[in-house]
Amino acid sequence: MKKLLGIVLMSALSLGGLGAAYAENYGKQKVAYHINVDDEKTLKAALGNIQNHINAVGKENIDMRVVMHGPGLALLQMANKNPDMQDKVANLKRQGVHFNVCANTLKGKKINYKTDLYDTTEQDIVPSGVAEIAHLQSQGFSYVKP
Amino acid sequence: MNKEQQFSEEFINAFVDDELTPDEKAQAYARLGDDVLLNHQVCELRKVRDLVALAYRNVPAPACGTSAIAAAGRKCSTAIAAGLALVIGGLGGWFLNQASHAPDNAVVAQVAPVAEDPAKVLFHVSEGSPEHLKSVLDEVENLMKFYRQTNQKARVEVITNGGGLSLLMAGISPYAERIQRMQKEYSDLTFVACQNTIERIQQELGLQAKLLPGVVVIDSGVAQIMRRQNQGWAYIQV
Repeated sequence: MKKLLGIVLMSALSLGGLGAAYAENYGKQKVAYHINVDDEKTLKAALGNIQNHINAVGKENIDMRVVMHGPGLALLQMANKNPDMQDKVANLKRQGVHFNVCANTLKGKKINYKTDLYDTTEQDIVPSGVAEIAHLQSQGFSYVKP
Repeated sequence: MNKEQQFSEEFINAFVDDELTPDEKAQAYARLGDDVLLNHQVCELRKVRDLVALAYRNVPAPACGTSAIAAAGRKCSTAIAAGLALVIGGLGGWFLNQASHAPDNAVVAQVAPVAEDPAKVLFHVSEGSPEHLKSVLDEVENLMKFYRQTNQKARVEVITNGGGLSLLMAGISPYAERIQRMQKEYSDLTFVACQNTIERIQQELGLQAKLLPGVVVIDSGVAQIMRRQNQGWAYIQV
């Protein structure tokens, strides 16, 4: 329930653009963003949400993981070709955001992470995207599905 | 607390649990009069609290509409009892001593999962297109396989409401056989249907919603999601 309320509050804040005003109130946060869709509009909006989230909490206060599986790998496939998406992802990475990729999906869809995904190394790969999200929540991460 | 501010979650919880000072309580009551969202939050929290109390109470199933919840509770107790047997074997007299003080299942329910530490995952399904439902089942099955391959204990619940209920409706679900096979293959996997949605279908469409065998019915999908999160389950929206 905390997580659901968190999501509601978070969206309310990002809509109002009041993030900066509340920055000092949030303390430390651990957050997992769940990405499993491939439409460009949702993915761009998700990157926007993540940036707003960091702005609101402060990059030094947040441990942010973006976990992609299934169609969600499209995020890094697009970033590989589309300069605008690439800038956004690179910018988030510079602020400490981790982009984690599901090994099951790489195998199932025969995706080569070295050539098909933007700036992805072996360290970014998790055995199962869904299990990773479940694990992160058990470690105190909040869940956000943009 | 500033009256213009939103009440914090802790504050609302404390209100529901009757832990506020009289002044704070008066503040809350004053706001409840004109704040629909707050009203809704309080109502949901009360419902969750009452349902948790009901599920944990060690009583036989009442012969009313809540029997499904009690059934879910019993299923849970069986799993807990099995887990407890292992724990007792492992920890011997110390645990027996602790357990003998247990007034009812509530204490057992808190102890067993810590010792066993299974992964607890709920999938929330609220959309019902066949392609979507297929990807849901793929993801659930991949996760079950992953836990099996890595020798991790896990309990997984697939909670359906709204359009997602079509996954579990007999004569409508495109994947009835697959679900039956998955139920057989993974004993820790439960498919759950929302009673509110079933009633809504009956009212709005005049359809008597029949469910696939083995599906557990709970009062409200949303309340179940909150209950599970309170119990430490991970939430995954698919």
